[in-house]
Amino acid sequence: MTGIGMLTAEDQMAIEQRLTDFLAKSEAQWSALVDKGGNLFAQSGNTGNLDLSILSALAAGSFAATHELAKRLGESEFSALYHEGLGQHILMSALHHECLLVTIFGERTNIGLVRFYAQQVTTGLNDQLQQAREKEATAAPLLLDGDFMNERAAIS
Amino acid sequence: MAFINYSSREIQLKIVYYGAALCGKTTNLVTLHKQITHAQKGELVSLATDADRTLFFDFLSLNTKTLPGFTTRFQLYTVPGQAIYNTTRQLVLKGVDGIVFVVDSHWEKMADNVESFANLQENLIENHLSLVQIPYVLQYNKRDIPNAAPVNYLEFTFNNRANRALAFEAVAATGSGVLETLNAAARLLLAKYSKTPNANVTGMSQPNLSAAVPPSEESPRVPAGNAAA
Repeated sequence: MTGIGMLTAEDQMAIEQRLTDFLAKSEAQWSALVDKGGNLFAQSGNTGNLDLSILSALAAGSFAATHELAKRLGESEFSALYHEGLGQHILMSALHHECLLVTIFGERTNIGLVRFYAQQVTTGLNDQLQQAREKEATAAPLLLDGDFMNERAAIS
Repeated sequence: MAFINYSSREIQLKIVYYGAALCGKTTNLVTLHKQITHAQKGELVSLATDADRTLFFDFLSLNTKTLPGFTTRFQLYTVPGQAIYNTTRQLVLKGVDGIVFVVDSHWEKMADNVESFANLQENLIENHLSLVQIPYVLQYNKRDIPNAAPVNYLEFTFNNRANRALAFEAVAATGSGVLETLNAAARLLLAKYSKTPNANVTGMSQPNLSAAVPPSEESPRVPAGNAAA
């Protein structure tokens, strides 16, 4: 099973608060919780006009590729992946429940600081994900009253 | 796996276009990107080689308002069709909610199609999934070519089972049948969130409720003599 299946508004707020605190401490620009299937769960910070769906899909794909590399080296997983650019950098850190912490940062900070605080926030995020998973296990399935079938084609 | 965000009232669903090399998976996404209104779609991203062959995946995000009170975000992916990229196909299938299996109608591509369908089932197992769990539709692509295999042959080969999947004829390059295929896949996925599920789509198979029930897992059958074509 990939990631988690649902997030309540409370879980979402709690995760976003942790991400916001992490950004304040690390002075990174943007941080997000995504799953390895490419779904964006929660985010904080500013990426300008970047399409966050694409960012999540590419980050998940990139991490998945390194997971295969790790397996071939006899590692169960690389716990973090760092892409260094000229002005912008990305750090991806593995979380529990098939999730990732993706952080974009620039020249205001450095990889050491971002990695240090990323390691700290992953513990709290893992707890939050565990809570979300437990809620999901007992939650009633989403069933909507409206009959979308009477509307026009789903995508047109 | 579908993700429901109650805070932003959003459901995210992942649909993967699967099929043999050069069967038209990327063309489906390119055509969809052209056909769908700007407000509903994101950018089309292709991780391809210099020769425009898919290396990792193509990605297109579509937003719809088809479920009351929720925005549905469909994340469309293609897999690389070439045999050497099997690990990559397994990665792209991670968290898949629905599949569009694209069949190349060329007679000489039939063995590749069958191999790809078997490969899909193997890779789903690698991801602890199966076609029994994952709704899928078939698209018989390239119907405009002169030597296209007859539809009843394709139905016999890929859709010969108790619960038949919906199947659509298409010419992805011109847009014919592309939206219909995606709509069918989308409705199959959304049906589980409605109290009154009704697939209400038209394909070659009967558009009744049984269409929303995932078909049983069987390997496609190629009549002797054509398998090695």
